[in-house]
Amino acid sequence: MKFRGKIVDGACLNHFTRISNMIAKLAKTCTLRISPDKLNFILCDKLANGGVSMWCELEQENFFSEFQMEGFSAENNEIYLELTSENLSRALKTAQNARALKIKLTNKHFPCLTVSVELFSMSSSTRIATHDIPIKVIPRKLWKDLQEPMVPDPDVSIYLPVLKTMKSVVEKMKNISSHLVVEANRDGELNLKIETELVCVTTHFKDLGNPPLASESTSQDRNPEHMAEVHIDIRKLLQFLAGQQVNPTKALCNIVTNKMVHFHLLHEDVSLQYFIPALS
Amino acid sequence: MLKCVMTGSQAKVFGKAVQSLSRISDQLWLDPSRKGLALRSVNSSRSAYGCVLFSPVFFQHYQWSTLVKMNENEHDTTLNLKCKLGMKSILPIFRCLNSLERNIEKCKIFTRSDKCKVVIQFFYRHGIKRTHNICFEESQPLQVIFDKNVCTNTLMIQPRLLADAIVLFTSSQEEVTLAVTPLNFCLKSSNEESMADLSNAVYSEMFVGSDDFDFFQIGMNTEITFCFKELKGILTFSEVTHAPISIYFDFPGKPLALSIDDMLVEANFILATLADEPSRASSPQSLCLSQKRKRSDLIKKKAGKNVTGQTLECISRKAAPRRIYPKETLTNISALENCGSPGMKRANGDISEVSESSVSNTEEVPGSRCLRKFSCMFFGAVSSDQQEHFNHPFDSLARASDSEEDMNNGRFSLS
Repeated sequence: MKFRGKIVDGACLNHFTRISNMIAKLAKTCTLRISPDKLNFILCDKLANGGVSMWCELEQENFFSEFQMEGFSAENNEIYLELTSENLSRALKTAQNARALKIKLTNKHFPCLTVSVELFSMSSSTRIATHDIPIKVIPRKLWKDLQEPMVPDPDVSIYLPVLKTMKSVVEKMKNISSHLVVEANRDGELNLKIETELVCVTTHFKDLGNPPLASESTSQDRNPEHMAEVHIDIRKLLQFLAGQQVNPTKALCNIVTNKMVHFHLLHEDVSLQYFIPALS
Repeated sequence: MLKCVMTGSQAKVFGKAVQSLSRISDQLWLDPSRKGLALRSVNSSRSAYGCVLFSPVFFQHYQWSTLVKMNENEHDTTLNLKCKLGMKSILPIFRCLNSLERNIEKCKIFTRSDKCKVVIQFFYRHGIKRTHNICFEESQPLQVIFDKNVCTNTLMIQPRLLADAIVLFTSSQEEVTLAVTPLNFCLKSSNEESMADLSNAVYSEMFVGSDDFDFFQIGMNTEITFCFKELKGILTFSEVTHAPISIYFDFPGKPLALSIDDMLVEANFILATLADEPSRASSPQSLCLSQKRKRSDLIKKKAGKNVTGQTLECISRKAAPRRIYPKETLTNISALENCGSPGMKRANGDISEVSESSVSNTEEVPGSRCLRKFSCMFFGAVSSDQQEHFNHPFDSLARASDSEEDMNNGRFSLS
């Protein structure tokens, strides 16, 4: 299996670094899937993650000026690697004002992802910083668990408010209860509710707008003001919101009543999907 | 015995010196002399030493005097100020240095030897005065005897560049390795972890071409390993000076000196470096001899083999970040090892004490941990007047060598 890629454009490099920082905040360990035209950061819904799953996808063409890969086999031309996300984001920190970034799969006593950054230097000689990030190659038989999650038909689909606002609200609520109710309707209203014996707090977001639903049949039956709700662990929502340092280009949320909430964000050309299951 | 006055900006430099020395240890010696006011700090395991010397002309006003004590036997003893302060007492005083620089008109520091107190006063506008009284402990300051000029390798680099390189390394990594050849310079993560940890740690390295240095003189290819935290200490201080950082070093095991000479202020950080020890430490006298012997041993023992516990003696490494070693261990300045690729080193580092007066027993650590030791540093008391009673048992004056400076008072010679 082989992989090598090179990023030379400063803006692409910064964007890639930001994505990596976001992933580092969302998942301690994640899977990197490399395929001929995409890169994916995957977190599958194991119990260890608390049932949360994540699927982040980016088109390699939008970042890399050079990209070569050779997967497991001709039919399965993909590479699945497990790595500690923070290692990658820290390695990319040095790439802030770099001339070029090279990333490749190497085997130095154990498999590594080698990130090599060529920095600008005042004199003729270049400064090169290299990081060998240890990784684990995921065997072929486990690949089936790491596929793109199926998004069930949502009951309500709604655009999210400004994430920073949402985050500050949820942060305060966390101190009161760990059980949060997310509900929304087709009228552009989203509510975040917590209830305890003593107090009940609800934050209402209005006029958010709803994206057009794929299946129009269900929408006819429902009253647009009817709220679809799901009960989730507030900390998982907070972790998701904390990862969003930059305001996304587009953000929407799909609710499947009592099953899960699915967040779909678009950071320029990088798509992030985050699934939080309902509390049982 | 000490009285000095500074402006706001001078107080900022002073405060930065205190902050940078706080990375070395929890205690600070205030040591005024004719040369100026020296702030000294030594860590508990004696593997790092820092000294910032403010020359008399740095201050607006500098006054220093010694007490001459008349003794019965008609030998007057000159008592210098033996002032040791806790970092916990002095560090909070020099917080928020930027606002300090802007708001204070004057800063006065003086001692009251009758009460063992140091008084620091800040004079603000509108007649506001802030006074701190810090009790000090009477303790003879230590100095390191280290001649920078005999080092085979000397580098001078702008602090900004070094700071950029440091960003590479995570704070969890304790040590970094510096590898030089006559053409280039490489800073890389040290591989001290055992086999198990290796698979989790990120290995980083950064090459800097010789052109980026102000001065680059390498006598021989060298790789030395030292503590990262203390390197950050001198970088903190470099933020307030305008001079480049000079690095003086030799072979692994011999201490490394980092210094900044900004005309009015001079900072020196001497750090012990890791040395490989192929055999058990024998006796104190072997300290100097072993330097030559081990070097040749080392060259045979090149990288190419995994150095495992079977071939080396082991000294267990204390994981405590403060490196407080309850046991005295003897150091041998031992073999050089050409530190090769990351996989080579399965060593588990150790920092050991310097002591001439005792021979230690090294423990065998089972398993694949290897032995590495930090070299010793030679310490001398600032004044030879009396053997001060120290808190630690290891505070003997290690006889450095044959240099005649040792004869009178073991002063650190920088010339």
